[in-house]
Amino acid sequence: MRIAGRISLVFAAASLLLIGSARAETVVKIGAALSLTGPAAAYGAQQKTGILAAVEEVNKSGALKGIKLEAVIEDDASTKEQGIAVFQRFINKDKVAAILGPTLSNTATAADPLAQGAKVPVVAISNTAPKGITDIGDYIWRVSLTEGQVIPGALKRLQVKLGFKKAGLIYGNDDAFTQAGYNVMKEAVASLKLEVVGTQTFAKPDKDYTAQLTSLLAAKPEILVVSALVENASGIVAQARQLGWQGPIFGGNGFNSPKLIANAGPAAEGVYVGTAWNKVSTEAPNQAFLKNMAGRGHEPDQFCAQSWTGVMVIAEAIKLSGKGRRDDVRAGFLKLKDLPTPLGKFSFLESRDGSHDPALQVVKDGKFQIVQ
Amino acid sequence: MGQQVINGLFLGSIYALFALGYTLVFGVLDILNLAHAAIFMLATFVAVALVGHGLHILLALPAAVLFAGLVGLLLERVAFRPLRARTDSNISGLISSLAAATIIEAVALEIWGPNITRFPFGTLPDGPANQLRLFGGTVSRLQLTIIGVAVLLVLALTWLVQRTRLGREVRAVAESPRAARVLGVDVDRAIAASFFISSALGGAAGVLYGLAFNSISPDMGRGVELKGLAVIILGGMGSMPGAVLAGFALGLIEVFVVANLGGSWRDAISFAGLFLFLVLRPRGLLGAAATREA
Amino acid sequence: MVEQLTDFYLTYQSTFGYIGINALLALSIYVSLSCGQLALGSAGFAAIGAYAGALATMKADLPLPLALLVSALLPALVAVPLGLPVLRLKGVFLAIATIGFGEVVRLGLVNWEYVNGAQGIVAIPQKASIWMIYLAVAVTLFLLWRIRGSKWGFALEAIREDEPAARTMGIPSTQYKLAMLVLGAALAGLAGGLEAHFTFMVAPNGFGFARVVDMLVFAVVGGAQVFYGPVIGAGFLTVLPELLRELAPLVGIEPGPLRLLVNGVILLLVILFLPAGLVSLPRRLSERRTARLVSRALAAGAPGGPPPEAPGGAGTAA
Repeated sequence: MRIAGRISLVFAAASLLLIGSARAETVVKIGAALSLTGPAAAYGAQQKTGILAAVEEVNKSGALKGIKLEAVIEDDASTKEQGIAVFQRFINKDKVAAILGPTLSNTATAADPLAQGAKVPVVAISNTAPKGITDIGDYIWRVSLTEGQVIPGALKRLQVKLGFKKAGLIYGNDDAFTQAGYNVMKEAVASLKLEVVGTQTFAKPDKDYTAQLTSLLAAKPEILVVSALVENASGIVAQARQLGWQGPIFGGNGFNSPKLIANAGPAAEGVYVGTAWNKVSTEAPNQAFLKNMAGRGHEPDQFCAQSWTGVMVIAEAIKLSGKGRRDDVRAGFLKLKDLPTPLGKFSFLESRDGSHDPALQVVKDGKFQIVQ
Repeated sequence: MGQQVINGLFLGSIYALFALGYTLVFGVLDILNLAHAAIFMLATFVAVALVGHGLHILLALPAAVLFAGLVGLLLERVAFRPLRARTDSNISGLISSLAAATIIEAVALEIWGPNITRFPFGTLPDGPANQLRLFGGTVSRLQLTIIGVAVLLVLALTWLVQRTRLGREVRAVAESPRAARVLGVDVDRAIAASFFISSALGGAAGVLYGLAFNSISPDMGRGVELKGLAVIILGGMGSMPGAVLAGFALGLIEVFVVANLGGSWRDAISFAGLFLFLVLRPRGLLGAAATREA
Repeated sequence: MVEQLTDFYLTYQSTFGYIGINALLALSIYVSLSCGQLALGSAGFAAIGAYAGALATMKADLPLPLALLVSALLPALVAVPLGLPVLRLKGVFLAIATIGFGEVVRLGLVNWEYVNGAQGIVAIPQKASIWMIYLAVAVTLFLLWRIRGSKWGFALEAIREDEPAARTMGIPSTQYKLAMLVLGAALAGLAGGLEAHFTFMVAPNGFGFARVVDMLVFAVVGGAQVFYGPVIGAGFLTVLPELLRELAPLVGIEPGPLRLLVNGVILLLVILFLPAGLVSLPRRLSERRTARLVSRALAAGAPGGPPPEAPGGAGTAA
């Protein structure tokens, strides 16, 4: 009888353990290297909101049975020195399963190789440089569409709609994001056989663009094609209107922010934006995202939507592979297809870049609206 | 062509106002006050906050300018006066001003965040109805107002420096603090006054800049601070008419460089010009040539 | 335990590396400060060295030591035609001219298509390791130590104290100043080359005005009166952001503004109260201790009478 008693004791203990471990949650950490200070701080702030909201949403929905996501957010100060330091912290100290970011492409080219070397998956949520990101290695993935995936299609649709033949180009030449954007715009304009009546540049700290715009407008373009981040974009749009330009203005991803309308005001009417995120999409995931943001009293921009999607993509990867370790996340990426996100149905390309339908928007009546 | 001249004069008026404060402090104390750009920024935020609370811009502007002047007084007392006795006071003063600039920017960042903001719409009448055609270009009433205010401030400063007793004392201290003290000038007060005026001018430049371009953020001083250096070198360190002349000149030069060579050359030409002047004619257009008494 | 140590090392590896790189950059400012010149062109020199080194490795297939030699030599060569006209300028004018030089270099790189403008050179092989960086720092410190004790060191100090007087004593101040500018350029270039091969990429916006300001702050906070001061400053200020990262949640301010605020306050406190930098802190503290002991002793004893035993004895100040 004593043996039977011992066996049942062991059995009871074992079943208690099993029940206990079934209820215990694994915490999976996701690191986010964001520019919360420095020149890119405005974007980092939007990204932080998007990430924290998405993580909360995933945990609340219970979609990852038994796994709880935890976001570890650190500031890289828009410098590569701190970007590298933050990545190393995530990899070796916090032991994250995946890293989101960094905000700037320049920082990414310095920090991503470390993650690749340590076999930690990175999901870029705002790097749009065509080369130098995903080609670092097979652990570097991207959710943000490159300008090359967005601009040519958008510009072509717009040309069909408006019929312009002459373009004036202006871009920020001291920033990797806008410079890469310009290269794409230049090619797109050439492939549409448009005449380039003039090209001007500005620097990110500039606030006055009247000299460049006066020069461009004197050459009588039919459309202004602009590669700029939002703080320059709003000034360019406002000053162009002030100089008498009533024609169309086309911008890239940097224009896709509520700040454009807030800062340029009525001048923003008639500005077209070729962008990765269709803000007014009526699809369910986008509406849910917008509702979540409204509930927080936060006006999201494209950076926010892309960061939210980054979290959702990681969550889906974990769900697909059933576990939350680094290689499981990567394995999940390989399987991921047509995930419904605020950006649309999202999949990864073979090159590990992101893929979903981009959008063409126009500012009308003080709001972004989709162009059919 | 006319439009570009207007663009250049407009930009130049703001450069001139900013450089005026910069060169005043240098003329008096031989110190480059790198916190000037930070006060420039701070005054703008204060003005935006005041207008946001319902104060009319015509009241908010002088209030912000006064605030800037007071910050300048504080700055002088805390960061510059203790260093005056030192032999390397111009290097240590530079570093001290750098520290102050960093602190001011940190405070602004904590209070207002990194995003760009603007004056509320309608702060100053704007829009197509308020445009005028002049010399073949359009200029807005806002721009004319800004140029006008800048010119007024320059005239006011000139009057202050040339015609008042305070102005005489400041000039005496600029010439030689020791001699001034011997002659009975309250050197501390004169220096404090210089800082007040310099920072007030910087604050005015900031508010006008904010009204002109509506792109206000804690790092908005970055773009102007280096240009300000070019202006004061071009005009002659310590020379107020020089700063005004050079401010307008640089505004016009930049605009014409952009129009003819493209934006990429603009800053390079400014700094190359700065360099050439320093090497060939360090006293600038209107600066004093002689070395100064201690 | 071993795993914890390895993790610690791996987590802070780049910080250790940057302490060394920043030390070299701070020293590049220091060598000019040591003869009284506020030359702030080091960001431009570092950029030249970084790009030259990266191109040497990637386009010319040079081995790392040769590439680093290029990184150091090219800026040094540039420093000569720069220095000759510019070293005639006094004080702040020299600073402004060299800042202008740095901006021209940065703008040149931004507009140079061959090196991809603002996007910079990426995928540089990571060939520089931490021991190489520290070797460079050690060699530099040794060099400066030797200069210090030699006739060169005396000449530099004389120039710093009073240049006209030094010249009347027969010291060719222009040559010394130029030599220090060239040395500073070489150090900055070497640091740039090492950084390029340590962080996989270089871009123009890492070499702007803000960067040279950082270097000046490293030198001043550490102590610009002695050759090892800038290294202490670089070490302290490079580690500080990582410390503040841990501290920020406890204090309740966002880490970004907190870091800026702390940097500014430290700089202000140092320049006001500890002008010879952090390295002078032990000396200043012990001076104050001595002063306090002496005054206590004098106050206790009648004038001329024997002072009572002060704790530790009045004569035991370190």
